[in-house]
Amino acid sequence: MRVAVVTFPGSNCDDDTVRALTALGVSPVRVGHRAQDLSTVDAAILPGGFSYGDYLRGGALAAQAPVIESLRAEVASRQLPVLGICNGFQILAEARLLPGALRPNRQGTFRSAWQTIRVTRASPLFWGLEEGELLRLPIAHGEGAYYLPPGQLAAVFGNDQAWLQYVSEDGLLHTEANPNGSVANLAGVIVGSVAGLMPHPERAMADYLGSADGARLLQAWLSGISRRDGHAR
Amino acid sequence: MRASDVGLTDAEYAEICRLMGRAPNALELGLFGALWSEHCSYKNSRALLRRLPHEGPDVVAGPGGNAGVVRLTDSWEVAFKIESHNHPSYVEPVQGAATGVGGILRDIIAMGARPIAVADLLRFGTDVHSHHLRQGVVRGIGLYGNAIGIPTVTGDLAYSDTYATNPLVNVLAVGLRRPEHAIGASTAKPGQLLVLLGQRTGRDGIHGASLLASQDFHGSEHDSMRPTVQVGDPFLGKLLMEVTLTAVERGWVGALQDLGAAGLTSAVAELSESSGVGATLWLDRVPLRQAAMTPYEIMLSETQERMLMAIDADRWDDLKALADEQEILATVIGVVEPGEMIRLLWQSEVHAEVSARWLVRGCPRREVTDEEWEGFRRPVPRPRVQAVAPGRGGARDLKSLLLDVLAHPDVRDRAFIYQQYDSTIQTRTVWGPEHDVAVLKLHEEPVGVVLSVFGTGQWASVDPYAGAAAAVIHAVSRLAALGAECLGITDGINAGNPDKAESFGQLGGLVAGVADAARALGIPVTGGNVSLHNETAGEPIWPTVMIGAVGRLADAAHPVADVVREAGARLYLLNPAPLDLGGSVVESLAGGASPYSLGPLADYRRALDAMSQSVRSGLVEAVRVVGRGGLAAALVRLLLPAPPSLGIAVTLDEDTDDAKRGRLFNEGVGQWVVALRPTCEPAFLRLCEAAQVPVCRLGAVTDVAALSIDGRVQWTRAELLAAWRPLG
Repeated sequence: MRVAVVTFPGSNCDDDTVRALTALGVSPVRVGHRAQDLSTVDAAILPGGFSYGDYLRGGALAAQAPVIESLRAEVASRQLPVLGICNGFQILAEARLLPGALRPNRQGTFRSAWQTIRVTRASPLFWGLEEGELLRLPIAHGEGAYYLPPGQLAAVFGNDQAWLQYVSEDGLLHTEANPNGSVANLAGVIVGSVAGLMPHPERAMADYLGSADGARLLQAWLSGISRRDGHAR
Repeated sequence: MRASDVGLTDAEYAEICRLMGRAPNALELGLFGALWSEHCSYKNSRALLRRLPHEGPDVVAGPGGNAGVVRLTDSWEVAFKIESHNHPSYVEPVQGAATGVGGILRDIIAMGARPIAVADLLRFGTDVHSHHLRQGVVRGIGLYGNAIGIPTVTGDLAYSDTYATNPLVNVLAVGLRRPEHAIGASTAKPGQLLVLLGQRTGRDGIHGASLLASQDFHGSEHDSMRPTVQVGDPFLGKLLMEVTLTAVERGWVGALQDLGAAGLTSAVAELSESSGVGATLWLDRVPLRQAAMTPYEIMLSETQERMLMAIDADRWDDLKALADEQEILATVIGVVEPGEMIRLLWQSEVHAEVSARWLVRGCPRREVTDEEWEGFRRPVPRPRVQAVAPGRGGARDLKSLLLDVLAHPDVRDRAFIYQQYDSTIQTRTVWGPEHDVAVLKLHEEPVGVVLSVFGTGQWASVDPYAGAAAAVIHAVSRLAALGAECLGITDGINAGNPDKAESFGQLGGLVAGVADAARALGIPVTGGNVSLHNETAGEPIWPTVMIGAVGRLADAAHPVADVVREAGARLYLLNPAPLDLGGSVVESLAGGASPYSLGPLADYRRALDAMSQSVRSGLVEAVRVVGRGGLAAALVRLLLPAPPSLGIAVTLDEDTDDAKRGRLFNEGVGQWVVALRPTCEPAFLRLCEAAQVPVCRLGAVTDVAALSIDGRVQWTRAELLAAWRPLG
């Protein structure tokens, strides 16, 4: 399986993501922001970081990079699985590959913490990740408040696009479990073959790092790709 | 231009004329002004620093380079160093702190090491303005560290009014390198090209070293000094880091020096002097951000995100292609020459010609006699009656006293700060800022780096020698609590105006305390930083030393717990200290100020050995080091993150209330609270006895969810948590 890790100047979770995929038995290919042709990859991850410094808005400049047009074309033509993590999610939202926007955290400051996430809807993209499952993952972002224009929230939930939500440690959905002011505690969304989430699964790859739930999430994504494409792994 | 315009004295000017055999021109005088500043020359501190122990079995590079380097394993070395950015952070907190992080990261990169961790050591006042300064500083540290992708994994924070107009912002960085990628500034060879990488040079930060960092404040510098502060760009810093480290890994780099204080002047002088070479610089080739900058401004600019590299001419095309790909500017601005003269050319005309040796080594330095040194080591006389006898701190009852201690800003939870720092990126963080030390496990090996940082505040306020020695012991005792070996320490010294006898005495006390403690523990000091002139309107800060200790942990994925785990475990206090409240939180709550009490240094080494041996023998279930807030705070920290059903019951041997308070709240270093399974108790006691380290039984872990003392005073866990981590 060929999984592309797409980097932009200022990406800084690319090494962690490559390491995580390698640990799961995949040999990822690094793809730069100028890449024009993604026809030979089976899936792509946009890792976290501060692309172009994020001086304008998280992901705003990266969304204009040539590689995004290549991604858009592959998503449209063959439903290429794409996973955006943190800054990658911001980029996908800025590129309109996912709905909504990531605004500055409600408290006005960067927030780094361990956070419990609940799988709101199971998706064939993440094979084996069940609805209601709880995952413990780190978050680390300054602009993670997921926002949807008025009226779109019902559509996102109605179309099974609401994927992950921030919950308390015991799995309860309430305002105090919301670390950044995201609408409806949304931590991740899926549209078609494109998924985005603010937490960092690539950092939760072993119990000694605090949790191995990230490995579970990424493995589910890889399994989803394998099953879809009929790849032997 | 006069000597005083660049911060030099008449005597120093006379020495420059003597060395040069002529009067310097304005540009040359500017070069001397920068490099002979306190900040760059260490003219008042070098003779003191020379007395620190630098040798150790694992030391790869000691002081003198951009950072110290120690051996971690056969295939990994650790570079680490602390740096101050105090005055810039007072003038402009966000950018001052951000560029402090950027600057220390480039020091690590300049050793060929990839940064893996940052720690922040901060001191603020308690007024409203200090509150805003703290918010700005924390934002600035996060701004740079988060964006460049280096986790901020631990820190140290304390408050006192003494820091209100002189906050301390010390930042420590740690990096990893392969031994074969070792590089430094001292290996440039004649004929190599000098390449300037990174940001275009602008008019920012001119005179940062000579005026901002090396002079006292008088109270009105807020606005006038702001142009001397630099602005950080972590995005460019990230690209520059990747280009630099890639070039080092590919073996293209002959010598490497970052541009920090005193900019290009310091970089070219340090590189030339340490390599024993000269240099010619073509200043008209330096890429500029603003047109019409003068040679003087180009040489003195402290624009951030720049590196100076010496490379063989046949590597230039490779380096240029690499830099182009990352969209980083790389420009040949000069050439390494034989000899020792640095020539600055502007359109083929020589504008300055000075020896690197004069710039780096020529500055007249203050000498320290053995007699003076002995004076620094003499303890401050103790008052016959302690200003705060234990009983007087306890006008209030024990129940509320502990809650007050937990709520004290030096003791309380710091989540509201460290949650603004990315602490998990790079996926090495086994223990992050919610613990007393950071544990970072290598990706490739089971081994890890343990980073322990601790600085004085109140401890060194009356007796700098005792406080500084205690800080070293305290930082190292946290490594011992994990059974980790200490490989080396870095020290950040912060004191007042060295021209005043009292401040110089305090500076000497701090250095002597670090020296004696490090020597007694057999630990090398591999580098550090000295920040003087920390005074505003004639009022110096408390002499303050910040210590960073780096350790090696064999099995980093499984550090021994710092939280109790099951009811029935026995609690012991290893190496109980005398019942002396000097320098403690309880003393400050009662308004007292007596000297910190330090025991014989050799005893601490025995205690440290016993502690780490107990852990390595697998006897210890959980352990906490006694620190600020004393034994009582350590017990609370041992309990709060534990399963909610657990509690701790303690019975004290002391018979009076005063003595009990002395036991609970003294902050003597080298004490640990240890939790043991009952089956491990005999072996632990035998080990302590054989090591001649005293130990006293405290009590046990219970299944009553509270802390109780002598069965008389009891706190529920909710009460303790509410005091330690107030909401909002």
